[in-house]
Amino acid sequence: MRIVHYVNQFFAGVGGEDKAGIGPEVREAPTGPSRKLASLLGAEHQIVATVFCGDDYAASKEGATDEIVELLRNTGAEMLIAGPAFTSGRYGIVCGRVAKAAKEAGLVALAAMHAENPGVAEAAPAPVVGTGLTAREMGTTLDRVAKAALKMAAGEALTADDGLVGGIPRLNRLVDANAASRAVDLALARLAGDRQATEIPMPDFGAVSPAGPIADPSQALVALLTEGGLVPAGNPGRLESARSTKWLRYPLEELPGLEEGSHVSVHGGFSTIFANADPNRILPLDVARELEDEGAIGNLYAEYFVTVGNGTSVANGARYGVEWAAELRKAGVQAAILTST
Amino acid sequence: MAEENGFKGLERLVHHVRHAEFGDAAGLSGGNLVVSEEELQALLRSPALASTRLSWARPGESVRIIKILDSMEPRTKGPGGAGIFPGFLGPATAQGEGVTHVLKGAAVVVAGKLPRAQEGMVQMSGPTAELSFLGSTNNLVIEFAPAEGASWTQVDEALRLGAMRVAVALAELALDIRPDGVEKLAALDPRSDSDLPRVGTIINLQTQGAFKDVFVYGRTMANSLPTAIDPNELDDGAVVSGQYGHPALKNPTFVHQNNPVVAALRERNGRNLTFGGVILSPEPVDQTLKELTSAHAARLARQLGLDAAIVTKEGGGNADSDISLKVDALESMGLVGIGIFAEMSGPEGLGPPLVAPPTTATAMVSTGNYDERITLDAVDNALGGEVVDLNGLDAKAEMTLPVAAVYGSLSPIGWGRLTCATEAPA
Repeated sequence: MRIVHYVNQFFAGVGGEDKAGIGPEVREAPTGPSRKLASLLGAEHQIVATVFCGDDYAASKEGATDEIVELLRNTGAEMLIAGPAFTSGRYGIVCGRVAKAAKEAGLVALAAMHAENPGVAEAAPAPVVGTGLTAREMGTTLDRVAKAALKMAAGEALTADDGLVGGIPRLNRLVDANAASRAVDLALARLAGDRQATEIPMPDFGAVSPAGPIADPSQALVALLTEGGLVPAGNPGRLESARSTKWLRYPLEELPGLEEGSHVSVHGGFSTIFANADPNRILPLDVARELEDEGAIGNLYAEYFVTVGNGTSVANGARYGVEWAAELRKAGVQAAILTST
Repeated sequence: MAEENGFKGLERLVHHVRHAEFGDAAGLSGGNLVVSEEELQALLRSPALASTRLSWARPGESVRIIKILDSMEPRTKGPGGAGIFPGFLGPATAQGEGVTHVLKGAAVVVAGKLPRAQEGMVQMSGPTAELSFLGSTNNLVIEFAPAEGASWTQVDEALRLGAMRVAVALAELALDIRPDGVEKLAALDPRSDSDLPRVGTIINLQTQGAFKDVFVYGRTMANSLPTAIDPNELDDGAVVSGQYGHPALKNPTFVHQNNPVVAALRERNGRNLTFGGVILSPEPVDQTLKELTSAHAARLARQLGLDAAIVTKEGGGNADSDISLKVDALESMGLVGIGIFAEMSGPEGLGPPLVAPPTTATAMVSTGNYDERITLDAVDNALGGEVVDLNGLDAKAEMTLPVAAVYGSLSPIGWGRLTCATEAPA
């Protein structure tokens, strides 16, 4: 099978964070981990190209996934392997999106990353093979990815034994007994000593390590972010009031603070009367400007990011986090204040 | 009548309604309910309402009801209500004894726009009808136009009282009719010496201010500590919903009157458990108060001698923590706590199912994934409005939307038969 491998700029050997903004490119000779993968896949299969892209560009530029998939298709490959991205959020999200788009374009597609990478949720219907935490586990990870790829090349579906992660959806179905009746049965089972019985497995959110304090706030570029649904009057970007699927950015430049009527909250999870009477209650631009004037912080970032956290899925929430972090890092922001409602 | 037999409790006189229509000869006969539109309109008159419109939406009809606010089952204890909906239609005196006439198979439904209300809908025919308790009842739908100058709060109050009067008026038609069934519901006996485990329920009520509030004996439950009541009080309308958010995750007055967990506990009472009690609790919006309320509800459960409690909620992710804190508090005292949750795992069902899961009380029941998409077939008629606000589509159009938009579909008080299960990828 003719296979194309997607990696980020780092694994392509182009550079680190300083090169995260570069657009997608093709190398016709296998590059970086593609070489090892090529040897593991054997003579029947051929890695015809490595496609790579900077993580920031790929994760946050509109249309980036389409550009990448266009390059993949131009290689004439029949199969895509994306990653392994380990726990890298931007890289994982891009691997997930690229695998999904490649599968939809008719390629056999596979992504590889850690089970808790937010990119796992982006890949469906393409499968994801789980990996270790970091590139230190590249060797064993590539062994597993190659085995999974060979199985898929033979037309077989992956299972948990192949390291498949995340790709097992929980789907709605009707059962005979109502939930109340099942709850009473479950209580009786637990009273009788069954500590395992449950209809819902405990979710694993992973863990986020907070960043260390910034050395000198008076020199820092600080961003304001909110999940409080605060948008310019008229809601030009049509942000949803519940179950949001997107985030938006709006300018703060030249605004000393927010005025009643200029911005409104479209959040559907609380009464917005007080928020709309003084929008600074949701996005504290007034006090942030005071801190800026006092010199307590360096500068405020010129835009704010906003979404609605009201029935929003954890997968979308995790994706917004990765995209925001990428955007802010690219803009040189050192600290961000994210208000929640 | 009930006490003459030495029976302490409530007798539910159940009358089945199989068809309903407007007509001049009001009455209930052989399951056919005929009501006078004019008489019911008169009950809805209020300075806060410019006009009201009444329509029937019956099972099997090609009708969709959108913008559903509250719904209630027609019930009365005698002429004028005689104690039903205490604190609203009469004084806030304790109910749950004597007799109550119930029209099974009918509902009074209020539909239209109020502030903070989120679009909830029901399909009266096709495969999605069974996702809502209103999909199989003969629904008398009240649509309305607010009066000029009336505040939204006044409009809300007028609709609530008007709907209650209409519900009572329907049930009054059964006062002199032999019921199809009589259900004797004994008051709970706190001194039962049975060896069976004592199981009860803690019912969390959403208390987030106007249009997102729930009333107990006519007063908001906000700022109260949890309290214990007899389940029969629920049958007489002691708990009334004024909560219009989260269509799939709300507990309308109809489900409080027909509390599914109470029904399941009654059904097993004396067989494999003793029904030990009902606790009502607010859902505060503040973390400290959530913790206080949860600890107090667990202590109350212990004082009722419960071995286990089913904890139900109302609302989205924030309300998950009201369950989780309570079931964990119960388990920390050595009681079993079971939470009923809806899952929020994204359209593909791949995300973590819960926002705020319990830590130790890990036995949970799922009422389905909120985010999964379903398609509602196009219909001939729609009630409640012309346009679905959620997507801007014509109220009659075919539409694909999250199951969360179907009224009562993920009932966190346990009405529905939806759950989630994993399926191997194809």
